[in-house]
Amino acid sequence: MTSQKYDPITLSILWARLLAIVDEAGTTLQRTSFSTVTRESNDFAVVLMDAQGRSIAQSSISVPSFLGVLPMLTQALLRDYFPLETWQDGDVVMTNDPWLCAGHKPDIGLVSPIFRQNNSSIGGEGGLVGFIGTIAHSPDMGGALWGAGARDLYEEGLMIPPTKLYEAGKPNQMLFNIIEANVRASRQTLGDIRAQVASNEQGIRSLSKMMDENNMADLEALSEQVIEASEKAMREALRKAPDGTYCYEYDADGDGLNEPVHIKCAITIKDDEIEVDYEGTSGAHSLAINAVKNYVYAYTAYPIKCAFSPDVPNNEGAFRPIKVKAPKGSLLNAQKPVPLGGRNITGNILHAPVFGALAQAVPLQVQADCGSACWCMVLNGQKDIVLQTPNGTEKAQTEFVEYFFLNGGYAARPHLDGVNVLSFPTNVANVPIEVLERDAPILVTEKSLRPNTGGAGKYRGGLGQTFAFKMVGKEPINFSILTEKTKTFPHGICGGENGGGGSFDIQPPRFLPPKGLTKLYEGELVTLNLPGGGGYGPKAERDAAAIANDEALGYIS
Amino acid sequence: MTYRLGIDIGGTFTDLVLLEEQTGNLFFGKTLTTYDNPANGILKGTTELLEKRGITASQVRNIVHGTTLVTNAVIERRGAKTGLITTKGFEDVLEIGRELRYDIYDIFLTVPEPLVPRNLRLGVAERIDFQGNIITPLDLPAVETQVDKLVAEGCQSIAVCFLQSFTNPTHERAVGDFIKQKYPNIYVSLSVDVMPEIREYERASATAMNAYVQPITDQYLSNLRDRLHALGFGGTIEIMISSGRLTTLDGARKTPIQLLESGPAGGTMAGVFYGKLTGIKDLLAFDMGGTTAKASMIFNLKPEITNQFEAARVMRFKKGSGLPVRIPVIDMIEIGAGGGSIAYVDKLGLLRVGPESAASEPGPACYGRGGTRPTVTDTDLVLGYLNPDYFLGGTMQLDLEAARTAIDQHIAKPLNISIEAAAMGVHRIVNENMANAARVHILEKGHDPRLYSMTAFGGAGPVHAFGVARLLGSPQVVVPVGSGVLSALGFLVSPVANESIRSYVCSMNTIDWQRLNGYLAEMEAEGLAFLEQAGVVDLPITIARVADMRYSGQGHEISVEIPDGVLLQNSALKIEENFKKEYHLRYGKLIEGIGIEAVTWRVVVSGPVPEVIPRQVVATSQNSEHALKGYRKVLLAGEPLASNVPVYGRYDLQVGDSFDGPAVIEEIECTFVVGTNATVRIDEFRNIVVEMH
Repeated sequence: MTSQKYDPITLSILWARLLAIVDEAGTTLQRTSFSTVTRESNDFAVVLMDAQGRSIAQSSISVPSFLGVLPMLTQALLRDYFPLETWQDGDVVMTNDPWLCAGHKPDIGLVSPIFRQNNSSIGGEGGLVGFIGTIAHSPDMGGALWGAGARDLYEEGLMIPPTKLYEAGKPNQMLFNIIEANVRASRQTLGDIRAQVASNEQGIRSLSKMMDENNMADLEALSEQVIEASEKAMREALRKAPDGTYCYEYDADGDGLNEPVHIKCAITIKDDEIEVDYEGTSGAHSLAINAVKNYVYAYTAYPIKCAFSPDVPNNEGAFRPIKVKAPKGSLLNAQKPVPLGGRNITGNILHAPVFGALAQAVPLQVQADCGSACWCMVLNGQKDIVLQTPNGTEKAQTEFVEYFFLNGGYAARPHLDGVNVLSFPTNVANVPIEVLERDAPILVTEKSLRPNTGGAGKYRGGLGQTFAFKMVGKEPINFSILTEKTKTFPHGICGGENGGGGSFDIQPPRFLPPKGLTKLYEGELVTLNLPGGGGYGPKAERDAAAIANDEALGYIS
Repeated sequence: MTYRLGIDIGGTFTDLVLLEEQTGNLFFGKTLTTYDNPANGILKGTTELLEKRGITASQVRNIVHGTTLVTNAVIERRGAKTGLITTKGFEDVLEIGRELRYDIYDIFLTVPEPLVPRNLRLGVAERIDFQGNIITPLDLPAVETQVDKLVAEGCQSIAVCFLQSFTNPTHERAVGDFIKQKYPNIYVSLSVDVMPEIREYERASATAMNAYVQPITDQYLSNLRDRLHALGFGGTIEIMISSGRLTTLDGARKTPIQLLESGPAGGTMAGVFYGKLTGIKDLLAFDMGGTTAKASMIFNLKPEITNQFEAARVMRFKKGSGLPVRIPVIDMIEIGAGGGSIAYVDKLGLLRVGPESAASEPGPACYGRGGTRPTVTDTDLVLGYLNPDYFLGGTMQLDLEAARTAIDQHIAKPLNISIEAAAMGVHRIVNENMANAARVHILEKGHDPRLYSMTAFGGAGPVHAFGVARLLGSPQVVVPVGSGVLSALGFLVSPVANESIRSYVCSMNTIDWQRLNGYLAEMEAEGLAFLEQAGVVDLPITIARVADMRYSGQGHEISVEIPDGVLLQNSALKIEENFKKEYHLRYGKLIEGIGIEAVTWRVVVSGPVPEVIPRQVVATSQNSEHALKGYRKVLLAGEPLASNVPVYGRYDLQVGDSFDGPAVIEEIECTFVVGTNATVRIDEFRNIVVEMH
């Protein structure tokens, strides 16, 4: 559209402003949202795109799940659902289709067009100049309680194909009503959807202000330059790595019983491009841990970005040199109607085979395996509350849906030990014990480091943790559990040893599924032991002072 | 005559401000900070200032002090050997933290070591549930065993943090009493005293930090008091704390973490003071020093307070890379680079500034101490903003050629632009980034940045203030008198106050009003008792009551005022209304059909704000014409070429002087650059006030 080119100083200023705009919109979304996952775990993204749906800026604190997802969604909307000329100012398109969005139904994507008025002083014709999108984990989407427990896609709740939630600013009341009638915690879920809409609106306002102040008619020139610079940086970093094909094989728990998962990956670096091929990976799984293409791309591109250009802002350009392939219908390219709810368990382990393969090419740019995936627990039931009324107190019951997350040990690095208990590759905070005990009928009895779980090596992996709690409610509650590495181990790398695996236990003893849905009864005590991180480099090379320190602190015994 | 003295210990200088109470005269002093024992510097500076004015120490009625001692002790890990007693099974909570990474893409990140190592964190059996019921009684024999162990290990200070203790402090108090009785010389910090708020990690972190710095602070303050007494001083001593309020010596010794941000808080309080003097109620206090620029908002002459604070960050600009301390702190954001921040071209071909800093050694290239990389100060020199012959009043010669060379090599050549264009580029980027951050900060509170004037201080603040204010659309910029000792001055205009906290999580339809009224009354009584102890007799005493509230199910609270007096069921309506007003202001919309809940309740009881009406010493000459020192070539933002700009000496400007920009006004500690379309005037207190047109 324009042949304008910004000088490096103006470009620096405008680019910083774009990043500030998406971060500002993200902060608002996070502070006003109800979903624990969105607000405590940064499980959301805000992305600014040009009129072709190419990403220009992504909020910096988003978890990796959403890398590249919103542009893929927006491009699909433009291609298959809403051609460019059909968009109106004030539209908001919504979908949670896992194949278009982020791989499971709770992730809701909202895309809004950005319109500019015709402004003769700037030149340019006005009209649609770009898109802003948000994606966030909603509190609930109906169906079975979130986790790996659903048997097929249809048990996982409501699916909303791309639909206008607002058309030219007018709400689609029917869609709101349908959602409200289908989900738990409906007010919170609708509250979060509205928070996403508000976040889009805020982004549009800030962007318009920036464009006004800088006499910008459209985003094309800026978009071209931003994308080109990022692409160039990524390609330069890749070019420095030795060409070749690097393979790695990796076992994971699967259902943790008798249906394990095997991941095979071959990474080819050729000049300034990289391709990851998952040929040979397990087929679709019977549990809801299957991952769609978009999601697998995000969690594969993520470790590559960490290794090659961690400080280059996320946009279209950074991902152009990265290609990912997985056999259709396999665990990593799921097709309808397999269930997907707990796909994060799968996405969260992909960094290990990717780093494992890359270690053969760039050993100083990678880390060992972490005690991931993050373990996810959901508690759901009724609890008693006391209401204050004008006539005194009154007993009542209220429904609770409480999510909480636990992380294992962090991986050892080429010159650093792993951190004890730290989230990776997702970035999920724990729920404070004092908050958890208020929200759900449980009493936590232990949260401690697990000595001897850090994989030995020149640099030791971080320790995992033990978390134990007792169910103290009278009525049984629903419990969705997702564990990983109870049958397998976090890998050591470059000669480092594996981290200690995870385990769990219930007292009085009975069968508890490693992944799935169950109930908890009064007095039952659940103990969760999370894995430690893998070690880096041969154990024999570890510094004696570091060993002495580990002993003094009781990290090893 | 009687006097009050403000003393601020900073990284390089110890600043003193002496106020003559009857006349309003202010006298300033500055001396080098004596790092080994900061009290030495204080004594030296005080003696010099008093002697110069012919005043005896006994005429000083009150000293207000602030120091970086606590912050430095945490950053440099110079605190006491500290032990931590926890509920059994939860000894590692302090180390595990919140399990979050502060940088998503940096796989080589490190986290701060816990202040108490694992071998000094010991558990005892005990348990209280979320309603305050005792589930497991305290195992007193175990307490004795564990405390004995910590003492035997050489711990001087012990922190105690039990789960849910803020709902029922009995067990923590019992441990505290036991230690006091058996080991009277061991310092004890109980979480229910330091931060009685929900969230066990944050509470443990604050408590451990308090214990860690308590011995060093206590010894320092006792020593200082004794030495000031020996000098003949017999008045009261107050300590500046992070919230912009003053506490007593005892208050500071008991909860030393309150001192973490005492110096910067003084700066903001000085901003409040100048707001009053100049009649500007909404201000952005902008402080730009050597390594960072900070900003804080003053709304309706009140500083914004937050309780989200981190000490000792591993990465200065990364939220979450430090140790959390949930104490009331003036909400100050780091908005960008400082004068010593290094500018460079990154691998994307973009021009970037900071966070890496040349610090004071080797310093900017123009200092001529071996620095070769260009800094913000170097670009300010090349643009003509700084006078190479009048830096720090001419005590330090700046090397213009060295600055030009550094900019040429590292920026102009790689970008293929002129040295001037490169320097202007750095200047613009620094200003744009600061304006961006400040704008976002003000917008987040639901306010309009264009209604905020700016008060600028710090060595580099006045050089950049005009440009940042222009970008923000600020109506006025004020460069106050005494900007070189601003924090110390702020100490003298802050009220003595006490903030009490109770966590009582309840939704508006489940509040037990009797219980809540009990808490509020307790907190008010605590505050009044504190003021009485502090010797505050003047009126008015103000009581502010606030609840941290949210929609049920959210994770982020906002502070909401609650009504005075005994609360009843119908008070809920008023509280909800206040919440909705504040929520709407911040987020632009309300959420229908979801209940509102309160998490934490706070009561602040404050004494009066000291009345200070400064009568600044008159100008050094009586003739404004002396003020115009000459003209020099200055390249202003937005101009294609450098132009001749008049240069004024601040000390010769008279009350009532007025002229249009552009102009450069020089004083010893800083230089104020004014662009076009603005009028400068000198107000009755000799503050420089710029009206932006």
